[in-house]
Amino acid sequence: MAPLLEIREARRSFVTPEGGRLAALDGVNLDVGANEFVTLLGPSGCGKTTLLRAISGFESLDSGTMRLDGADLTALPPFRRPVNTVFQSYALFGHMSVARNVGYALEVAGVARATREAQVAEVLEKVGLAGMGARRPGQLSGGQRQRVALARSIIAKPRLLLLDEPLSALDRNLRQQMQLELKSLQHALGIAFIFVTHDQEEALTMSDRIVVMRSGQIEQIGTPREIYRHPRNRFVAEFIGETNLFPVTIDRVEGAEALARTAEGVEMRLPGKDRRPGEQVTAILRPADFTLGGAGIPGRVTRAVYLGSDLYLFVQPLAGGPEIRVIARDGAGFDEGAAVHLAHDPARVHVLEAA
Amino acid sequence: MRNPIGWAGLTAFSLAFFAFIYAPLFVIIGYSFNSNPVNMMIWESFTLDWYTGLLGLSDRTTDVSNRAAYVESTGLMLAALRTSLTVALFTTTISTVIGTATAIALARYRFRLRGVYNGFLMLPMMMPDIVLGIGLLIFFVSIGMNLSILTIIIGHCTFLTSYVFIIVQARMAGLDPALEEASADLGASEWVTLRKVLLPQLAPGILGGALLAFVISMDDLVITYFVSGTGDTTLPVFIFGMIRRGVKPEINAIATLIILASVVIAALGLWLRSRKTD
Repeated sequence: MAPLLEIREARRSFVTPEGGRLAALDGVNLDVGANEFVTLLGPSGCGKTTLLRAISGFESLDSGTMRLDGADLTALPPFRRPVNTVFQSYALFGHMSVARNVGYALEVAGVARATREAQVAEVLEKVGLAGMGARRPGQLSGGQRQRVALARSIIAKPRLLLLDEPLSALDRNLRQQMQLELKSLQHALGIAFIFVTHDQEEALTMSDRIVVMRSGQIEQIGTPREIYRHPRNRFVAEFIGETNLFPVTIDRVEGAEALARTAEGVEMRLPGKDRRPGEQVTAILRPADFTLGGAGIPGRVTRAVYLGSDLYLFVQPLAGGPEIRVIARDGAGFDEGAAVHLAHDPARVHVLEAA
Repeated sequence: MRNPIGWAGLTAFSLAFFAFIYAPLFVIIGYSFNSNPVNMMIWESFTLDWYTGLLGLSDRTTDVSNRAAYVESTGLMLAALRTSLTVALFTTTISTVIGTATAIALARYRFRLRGVYNGFLMLPMMMPDIVLGIGLLIFFVSIGMNLSILTIIIGHCTFLTSYVFIIVQARMAGLDPALEEASADLGASEWVTLRKVLLPQLAPGILGGALLAFVISMDDLVITYFVSGTGDTTLPVFIFGMIRRGVKPEINAIATLIILASVVIAALGLWLRSRKTD
């Protein structure tokens, strides 16, 4: 099946104030399927917003192609593109009522008033704002404005909805609630979402696939689990979630397991597949991958942060090297200064080829 | 904690400040009801004669022996008022359209010499009126244009466009560019976006600029003095001419009516503004 959106070799550079050129998009290739929830994730300045704006038509590409349903997008002005956007600032029209804001796309398209009003009511209902149509955007709370912006952008039934960090202005609880609602709304509508965020937690929660970007290039595309468990490189590993990185040298390979050692002498076991003695690799372990017990890497707790049901521990290996971050169940007496052993399942270790 | 002495001092200062600004206006309003025709500073009794006299309805004028001439001068004054209103109306319309369009263009499009244009638009505001007036006069004469109501309108537009531009530009600067993008994103062409989003959003600024242009145009003396011909005189130029022949009580009545009109216009502006914003 052909993808809904097909981006090939997209390039776009800007002139910096110093006179240099900065590549915001540096050869980006991306396919988005109909009905897919794709997140563009990366630090600020990585090109994710430029990519989104290139799709909506507010930025042009220096080179490359962009097709939606097989039709070339690049030559179309924004108002002719069958995509809609939820803006970071919501960009609601303050001089119009909520209902007129939501019905704007239909009004502009010349849809008759009666049809328009019926559809507006239906969409407002869908986003949980039934009966609020007569209000002005200025009279709504932040979360309600967010819903109006969402309703306004889905009323014309676009094939593809672009969301530019729409949740960044909401407080934590509301944000988590909206994340789930967005996801179920996307399912119900059956349209593709491209969601821009710099919040990796948000990306993991909502996406079918995550696109990790850095300096105008795509570092990795994959499902949240792939990205989290099998990051392709150090940048992705460190950007997504808490990570412990161990640059190690393989000591010896014993069947399915390999024994490895850091420069300081911390010993660990890795999956043995494809490993050769003497090889230098980076072993990646998430804080939740360790279990505290009688065996494993000996260390001392330097700091313990209380997280409710869990404890977040910083453990200094006795052999030396950087502290290891570990999540443990609360209540087992892991106070600061306690001696612990960190055990891990070799199969949980993700290995990066480069040291 | 409030310092009572400081607080009282501040109150007194504020009252003194407002008295300083408004006392001359109240003096004029008071004098306009004084029936003493010879010396307006000596109160005689209350009268509305100067108001009715302005409209040619009253027998009582400053110079009773020359009543026919006076009625004629009343007619001249009403003609001057009509000229002023005509000039202000045209000037306001033209400078509001040009000023608004320029503000939008300079804010939304990037082009060469943008900063220079910006500077040149500010310049007429800083320029002394007398310089602008002489310059316009020499210009009109050298291109062989007869001084008339048209030259007054052109002269006013040259500097009032800048006032409208400044005010609309300030509003434009505070506008989220995403609003126009959202409109385009939802399928509106640039023209529809201008009509349905940009202009309504700028409305308070445009209205404010238009009111200011109207008031300044009505009020301008120096530039109009240079570019008005013998036939068309505006109210300020007419009053200036009257005063040169001595301050008559009617002047106070005229001034009071102008104050009243200004207050009404300002109140109207504020009311419209408060209706526009959420």
